[in-house]
Amino acid sequence: MASFSTGRRPSARETAAASGVLVALLAIAAWLWSVQAHFSPAVTVAASAALAAESGRKSVAAPANLIATWPAGLRAMGPMESFSPDTLSDKIDGKAELYLSAGFVAMRCQRITSAAASDAWFEASIYDMGQPENAFSVYSSQKRTATQEAGIGDYGYRAGNQICLVHGQYYLELVAADDREPTLQSAAELARTFIAATAVARHANMAKDEALFPSDGMIAGSVMLLSADVFGFDQLNNTYTARYREGKDDATLFLSRRASPAEAAQLATALCDFFVKDCGGKETVAPTTPRGAVIIDSGGAFDGVFVSGALLGGVHQAASRDAAERWIQRLHARLPTPTP
Amino acid sequence: MIPPHQSPLDPAANRREFLRRGLQAGAAVALTGGLASLLWNRHPPGDFNREAASALLPDFSDKNAGPKMAIVTGQNRTAMVRRALEAMGGISRFIKRGDRVMLKVNAAFATPAILSATTHPELAAELVRLCLGAGAASVLVTDNPINDPESCFNLTGIGPAVRAAGAELVLPRAAQFAPGTLPGARLIRDWPILHEPFRGITKLIGVAPVKQHNRAGASMTMKNWYGLLGGRRNQFHQDINGIIVELAMLVRPTFVVLDGTASMMANGPTGGSLADLKPTQTLVVSTDGIAADAFGATLLDKTFRDLPYIAGATERGLGTADFASLNPVRAAV
Repeated sequence: MASFSTGRRPSARETAAASGVLVALLAIAAWLWSVQAHFSPAVTVAASAALAAESGRKSVAAPANLIATWPAGLRAMGPMESFSPDTLSDKIDGKAELYLSAGFVAMRCQRITSAAASDAWFEASIYDMGQPENAFSVYSSQKRTATQEAGIGDYGYRAGNQICLVHGQYYLELVAADDREPTLQSAAELARTFIAATAVARHANMAKDEALFPSDGMIAGSVMLLSADVFGFDQLNNTYTARYREGKDDATLFLSRRASPAEAAQLATALCDFFVKDCGGKETVAPTTPRGAVIIDSGGAFDGVFVSGALLGGVHQAASRDAAERWIQRLHARLPTPTP
Repeated sequence: MIPPHQSPLDPAANRREFLRRGLQAGAAVALTGGLASLLWNRHPPGDFNREAASALLPDFSDKNAGPKMAIVTGQNRTAMVRRALEAMGGISRFIKRGDRVMLKVNAAFATPAILSATTHPELAAELVRLCLGAGAASVLVTDNPINDPESCFNLTGIGPAVRAAGAELVLPRAAQFAPGTLPGARLIRDWPILHEPFRGITKLIGVAPVKQHNRAGASMTMKNWYGLLGGRRNQFHQDINGIIVELAMLVRPTFVVLDGTASMMANGPTGGSLADLKPTQTLVVSTDGIAADAFGATLLDKTFRDLPYIAGATERGLGTADFASLNPVRAAV
């Protein structure tokens, strides 16, 4: 193959230009990698769903039932449906992203009716979220406020015509066509049957992180695990929040366990920047709160951010600067001393 | 190494080599471009009718003068929609003898009517009766839920109710969609739109519940037109405000009905619990869907400023977010 080589050494300018081109190419490759690594799950779903449709595969009508043996008095109203990350939006268009961003693996659902009264039906949906904390995340981020304990599974509650609960990595939603007691009893029985037949693992860190929140003033049942876009900030994920009330004022405390103290510190800086730039806040260092804690005044609502080891913590939308400082002092006091 | 016949300073040799290399590079670029052109999918994926010339819908909007908005409070949907239409000048202001009417409902989910995730069957049926009573030649009812349309229409109660009222229910099939490109649009370009059932239709009514929406903030009359899209439409959720604005550009209805009798305040658009609902006891009829949704935002304890698609639609002159400027007729039943 012919060559342009002239045998002379390239000049410093040529070397610099060539290096510049290589650096630019590397930068483009890094950018492409980064964009692909953060590709929208919904677009992935859409693309895969189309491929599935084009190849003639169908996402519905799997032959089996939701559970092997129906509780007495119940029967299937129709076939069980199964959904993967590729097809979940076929069932819950507009809400699939909430599950996908929390690690959704698969969902099975089926309508079930009473053998005695066909108008008393409910739909049971079993979401396999892969990990118990993922199941808790989708459970808690949708939890209704007017609820009563159902006494089934983990955190099981009843809200009108609906029963929701967590069982290990599974999130169960049972939606009845009415709020009559016999229908809800049937739904509860189905959930118990599923739980009895399904052995699951529990996640140790989940209970530990939840327990770090102070109990005084916490609004019962308000602990949530948000998997993405916490407070509208796209870099903050996997964050526990709990709502508190002090007199007439509400505030939200938050905790997020990061991979390392350095990552927690970096994220804290980015979160403060977000509160300042995107929420119009004014940042000051708090003198009395944990060392390095920052308070942001966003025009009457106060946010506070601090880091303790690999934990990022703080308060969101406290009513006053004093309240924000008090809340983060209380939260910080609960945290274990970070190991050096 | 320098070839023996070629001096490093021989400009002729370098020129020949340069030309040869240039031709090779040009051929490589042409080959790559040609291959890419062959592989380029000029149409969005999806099975739809490519024979139709255009899927753009006609302008069904009401050009007659008269009240543009009515807000009625109460609990009985049929009474409220009747009262609202009376306040707007009567159904006969909009529906004339011989009209062929399309009623676009929200039947997105196979859930019971009590959950208010879909258009209430009593409201849909009453609109059918009103149109037929005004002399409409026919009323068609449709929506394009992704998940098994037949189950959605049956379990919501919409299918049986509108059939009993005298309407024809249209369950969308792939062949009824045709590609359409909306002038000035960024998203609706060569995209499958429900088209065939609109042949011969002279009036279009949209009827939707008031719902909080996980992505859009709220789903009301403007978001309801999403059900006219086919294809892999869930990818539009990445630019949900953009697609709702473009739907407002695409669809110019005769009037819309916004049902806030029980508004879904949280966990939308699917809901699932009666605990998600608030008895806001209000129904709106408007010839301006943007104004109807701007009012609807207040039922969700929001303002139109919380819903960027409303600002986007007003900027394009598709309606007004200042619903009070329409001097809505208010009534109670």
